[in-house]
Amino acid sequence: MAEEKKIRRENRAMRVRSLFLLVGIFACLALLAMNLFKIQVIENEAWKKRAVSQQLADVEVPASRGQIYDANMAVLALTREVYTVIMDPSNIKDAAERELIVEEVSARLDVDKEKLREQASDSDSQYKVVKTKLNKTDGDAFKAWAKEHKLTTVFYLVDDFKREYPLKNLLSCTLGFVGTDNKAREGLELQYDSVLSGTPGRMVVTQNENGDRLPNSLNYEYVVDAVDGHSLVLTVDQYVQQVAEKYLEETVKQYGATNRGCAIVMDVETGAIKALAVKGDYDPNNYLLIGDPTLAEQIAQLSGDEYNDALVKARLEQYRNKSLDFYEPGSVFKTFTAAMALEEGLVTDDDMFYCSPFTIADRTMYCWDDHSHGKQNFTQAIANSCNPVFMTVSQRIGTKLFSKYYTGFGFTEKTGVDMLGEQSVSESLYHTPDRITPVDVATSSIGQTFKATPLQMVTALSAIANGGKLMQPYVVDKIIDSDGNVISATQPTVRRQVVSEETSKRVNAMLENAVSGGAIKNAYISGYRVAGKTGTAEKTETRGEEGDEDAIVEVVASFGGFAPADDPKVAVLVMIDEPQKLKSGGGVAAPAARKILEDILPYLGVEPNYTEAEIAGLDRNTPNVLGSTPTSAATVLKASSLSYRTVGKGDVVTMQIPPAGSTLPKDGTVWLYTDATEPEKTTVPDFSGLTVAQVKQLAKQKGLNVLMSGVSSTGGTPKASRQSVEAETQVNKGTVMKVEFTYADNIH
Amino acid sequence: MATQAAKTPVKTKKRRWFNFSAGFDMPFFILTMLVLAVGLVSLFSASFAYAYYWNDGDSYYYIKRQLIFAAIGVVFMLAASTINYKQLQKKWVVQAALGISIVLLLWVRFIAPPIRNVYRWIRIFGFSIQPSELAKFALILFMAYWIAKQGDRMKLGKEGFGIPIAVTGVIAALVVIEPHLSGTMLIVAIGMVMMFIGGTKWYWLVGTLGVGAAGVCAMIFGLGYERDRIDVWLDPLKVYTSGGEGRDLAWQTVQSLYAIGSGGLMGEGLGNSRQKHLFLPEPQNDFIFSIVCEEMGFIGAILVIVLFALLVWRGFVIGLKAPDRFSSMLAIGLTAQIGLQVVLNLAVVSNAMPNTGISLPFFSYGGSSLIVLLVQMGIILCISRSIKKE
Repeated sequence: MAEEKKIRRENRAMRVRSLFLLVGIFACLALLAMNLFKIQVIENEAWKKRAVSQQLADVEVPASRGQIYDANMAVLALTREVYTVIMDPSNIKDAAERELIVEEVSARLDVDKEKLREQASDSDSQYKVVKTKLNKTDGDAFKAWAKEHKLTTVFYLVDDFKREYPLKNLLSCTLGFVGTDNKAREGLELQYDSVLSGTPGRMVVTQNENGDRLPNSLNYEYVVDAVDGHSLVLTVDQYVQQVAEKYLEETVKQYGATNRGCAIVMDVETGAIKALAVKGDYDPNNYLLIGDPTLAEQIAQLSGDEYNDALVKARLEQYRNKSLDFYEPGSVFKTFTAAMALEEGLVTDDDMFYCSPFTIADRTMYCWDDHSHGKQNFTQAIANSCNPVFMTVSQRIGTKLFSKYYTGFGFTEKTGVDMLGEQSVSESLYHTPDRITPVDVATSSIGQTFKATPLQMVTALSAIANGGKLMQPYVVDKIIDSDGNVISATQPTVRRQVVSEETSKRVNAMLENAVSGGAIKNAYISGYRVAGKTGTAEKTETRGEEGDEDAIVEVVASFGGFAPADDPKVAVLVMIDEPQKLKSGGGVAAPAARKILEDILPYLGVEPNYTEAEIAGLDRNTPNVLGSTPTSAATVLKASSLSYRTVGKGDVVTMQIPPAGSTLPKDGTVWLYTDATEPEKTTVPDFSGLTVAQVKQLAKQKGLNVLMSGVSSTGGTPKASRQSVEAETQVNKGTVMKVEFTYADNIH
Repeated sequence: MATQAAKTPVKTKKRRWFNFSAGFDMPFFILTMLVLAVGLVSLFSASFAYAYYWNDGDSYYYIKRQLIFAAIGVVFMLAASTINYKQLQKKWVVQAALGISIVLLLWVRFIAPPIRNVYRWIRIFGFSIQPSELAKFALILFMAYWIAKQGDRMKLGKEGFGIPIAVTGVIAALVVIEPHLSGTMLIVAIGMVMMFIGGTKWYWLVGTLGVGAAGVCAMIFGLGYERDRIDVWLDPLKVYTSGGEGRDLAWQTVQSLYAIGSGGLMGEGLGNSRQKHLFLPEPQNDFIFSIVCEEMGFIGAILVIVLFALLVWRGFVIGLKAPDRFSSMLAIGLTAQIGLQVVLNLAVVSNAMPNTGISLPFFSYGGSSLIVLLVQMGIILCISRSIKKE
């Protein structure tokens, strides 16, 4: 009994201890549950915030950069999506695979084989950039190839952007460029970078510890769309720009200009820039290359530091927008001196002057021309660009008024153009009102001893042309968003009225007289009234010591003008820095300006207005005489006052040279063939250096039709300087070719 | 999965031990299967991403294997539930169990190659076996046998304290040199808990605890052992943000807290854990409960805790109703092991105690552990058969 009792008591004690243990375990679980409640529910937000910061990746979604368009929405700059090809050499399996990669990839991606082999052999590396800026099509093809050869672990393609300039060099010094790192570097690209680049978006995605995206099913995304950049619509017209660049480049090359040149076409009413050509320029698609082949060649000859320094210097040089660099404008400035004098009533059109050396203080200054211009009125003095006359007039103007108008025409301040690189006008560049002396006025009046930018000059010229309003030049017409909605449009801004409309008209007339009156024949265009002034400034930097006869004097040759003179539409400034073959504004810059205006005036809708003399010399349109009898063909051609030559014995004209619609000179000859004979051949002669009459005679003799350009109806003896078909070429008789004439004109 | 395994024995042949009247304890069986089922689902989700990243995109790597182990384990459990537990109450069986355990523990420490720098596993046929799992069972078996044999003499110093603490100590010593700190803690805890229930005088146990605690304190604060672990435990974020090595030391604890803390009341939803994407190391193993917390929230965590509590409660009920002291001590010892392991695991993942690395029964991935666990459940079930019905 006692034993049993004892066992029972013992069992009860065990039961109690067991329950004690059970309660203990439950108590622990309860405490742990409370702890979980604290962490999970009470501290939830704090923990979650910490966790989320490592679980989510904030990825920037790049915005697409806006385009740059010309005035007619032709694309000047655009952004394409491209790839960067990365190689992970550590994943190349063996030598055979490496060989395959070197052989195939070097060909496919057009990369250097040896460099690729070197990269592929670095098997410790996981990251080698094989190719940058690979276009989408080639990139996708490469992807497919890599997949096919099971090389997806070796090659991967990363998205990138590439800025393209489809028209290459066109407008490059104004556009600037975006570097391969997708950062804007120069020009409008940099100036308007914030507008063009847009706002990058954000994408918050879930990531694992390695920073990789989670599988789709577990992914969480929060996307803020990127706002694409706005696009720029420029005032520049592609056609006008092309014309300006073409003739500027031609001129720079022809006259061996060693310090580039620029040509600006401006809408005189608004100050909108229609063309801004700079040569030598560069191709923004390959902005590291030197655009000028001769210079590139010279640099390639160098080595070491010399090479690097020269290369860097040449690059910076070619990126410079020359229209914003200071130069001595020379006689073109006489336009403004004339305007001041007329505005202040200090001179009348008929005031008589005599060209004799001008003495002021202890200095005597001579006219540029060795022959005295003799007696002349003010209008003639402008045409002659007579220095002593202008210096005389300058003394009537005096320091105070000169400074007033100098400032008025905007030469002491920035033009405010929306282009990068315009510098403030430092006081060392001109004679400030507190320092200016009568001698300074005299030299300044003919455009010497101070500096201005081509853009300042053309803007001031526009003020002369448009009735005296100094405009703020601009190149960005409007900013549009990616859907084409106008975000902002530039309104033409009048900075101030500099001279009266009356003065403006009188200066226009004088400048037109300078061109059509025969002084600046090289700027004359049949059917159009061109007003203009040439300038040939000796560069102070290159001017030798006083009396040093051997010093080579470099000049800036320029022509500033506008057309049509009676109702000006556009102002043109052509500036050629350091021409070597001819150092005269009239000889070098005026023909370029003429050619530019000749091509753009009809395009801009300016109707030609011929004088009687001009009409007589107008070219003819060739009528169609195919299929008619030789007799009736002759009647038709005679009606157009054209000559003809018939070859063959047939009844019907089967071939005519030149064909219908071709432009023929007024005394041109059409060759008619009435049976299937081969057209007769002739050899093109070398016309260069011949006069108009000599060219006509030789052309007739050779059976060629010659269209002549650059011949002013005001007389003079221009010489042939260029021909459209090279000498010694075999051509059909009757072929139409162009011969360009230039006056041996060196007016300053 | 688990339901399939559960259905098989119920539906097929009719034999005596499927008879409800003389069958095993149905609530305990159902609770076991329920915990196993929830554990498998949790493992599937927790290991999904880890397996994806580490096994060439095979997200099913762990769950496939664990399902096989579970199936084998359930068969073993049912088989174990049919044995006559009295066969276990033999001196040679107990001696053999202890002997084999000690030999395997010596083997794993001194002969087998280390795996992940510790001597914890023996690899056989591609599977890892943990001798300490078997040693725990052997200790429980020995304790039950000893307490039943000694009866009243458990009050004495030698029989009640000296010998059982020596056996516990030998096994604990062999486990601690693996090293396997949490395994050691569990073994010591099991030994002492069973001694306590068996009737060992309280002062022996309190004294041992006191000496042990003093020893541990001396090791930590005197000799500086595991000082980092303590620092992490006291302020994991501080160590974590200290950067460098501290970041690595506190990484697992902090990532676990991130997971638990992100769960909130309702959780991110099953399968939606983000912390399992390589942030939390070994989410399929010791830290699986953190992922459960993140995905199922506080509600889910409580449900899991309640399930475990019910299982432990039912195990104790079986132990208390068991026909003799041996079976009673065996059932309570086996149940207490689960209870203690759950408490320790939950304490570790929620940083209530320093990180020692201890798995969660029925949840954590591991073949030998799961099979041994299920066999132990089978033994409890077989004990439940002998309970006389009122």
